[in-house]
Amino acid sequence: MAKKGGGFERKSKAASEIPTASMADIAFLLLIFFMVSTTFRREQPRHLAFPTAEKTQKMDEKRKNILHLWIEPNGDVYINDARVPMEQVGEVVLPLYRASERALLVSIRGDRDVPYRFVNSVTEELRSANAVRVFFHTDLESRLTRARR
Amino acid sequence: MALLKRKSKVSDEIPTASMADIAFLLLIFFLTTTVFEEEKGLPIVLPEASAMEQAVSQSNIIHFLVQVDGAVVIRRGESQAEQVVSYSEIEGIMRQEIANNPRIIAAVKTDPNSPYRHMINVLDELQKANAERVSLQLWER
Repeated sequence: MAKKGGGFERKSKAASEIPTASMADIAFLLLIFFMVSTTFRREQPRHLAFPTAEKTQKMDEKRKNILHLWIEPNGDVYINDARVPMEQVGEVVLPLYRASERALLVSIRGDRDVPYRFVNSVTEELRSANAVRVFFHTDLESRLTRARR
Repeated sequence: MALLKRKSKVSDEIPTASMADIAFLLLIFFLTTTVFEEEKGLPIVLPEASAMEQAVSQSNIIHFLVQVDGAVVIRRGESQAEQVVSYSEIEGIMRQEIANNPRIIAAVKTDPNSPYRHMINVLDELQKANAERVSLQLWER
């Protein structure tokens, strides 16, 4: 009488379970790695509504070379979270521009309702500091919202 | 004496079987709730302060006058003829102008009291038309 299965029933001796004992360590290590490597930029929240544009593009520039310049609706200018009087914007930006080895890219974050004369004063001040590479921070506008305008 | 040696029946080990699940849940929670701030916008290069004022032939300039209420008026070269346009027409007009004269300069003159978003709208349209020579100015009257 032949054996059932023709004798091929030999069982593997190797464990068929994935070892999970160290899984917790791996996960916590990952968690701690991300926590440590995250840097937060401290900035006061500013409740500005940015203008929208269809041609909004991502800027490929190193984070340290980007300077944020905020213009509040009443014309107050903030650079790195400090209020800067309009006529001193150039003096404040100039050392930063030199420190960045002329690679500074200024992000002009103006509220959508800022009267244009303030934006113009800011760009004139930036020109005086030679920081001519700028971009106007905008939010992406879809064609659908565009049609309503 | 023998009575004192009674062993506790309660397990003295912390259960670690679900530790991995907890850690991965935390990890996934932070991964999904993190939002990265993007640097995005409309780039433009301002003229340098040392740049000499260049005399540009009026025929190479097309003026976009942005008024307080956001209305846009086009004024071409020497002619004082004004043409009121809507935002959606600007791209087509600018493409046409560039095709006629690749050296055309788009001068966006904005009223000092006009909200900034109107200038951005015009700049957006000009960038859609691939205009490279753009000048931003204050409209002083």
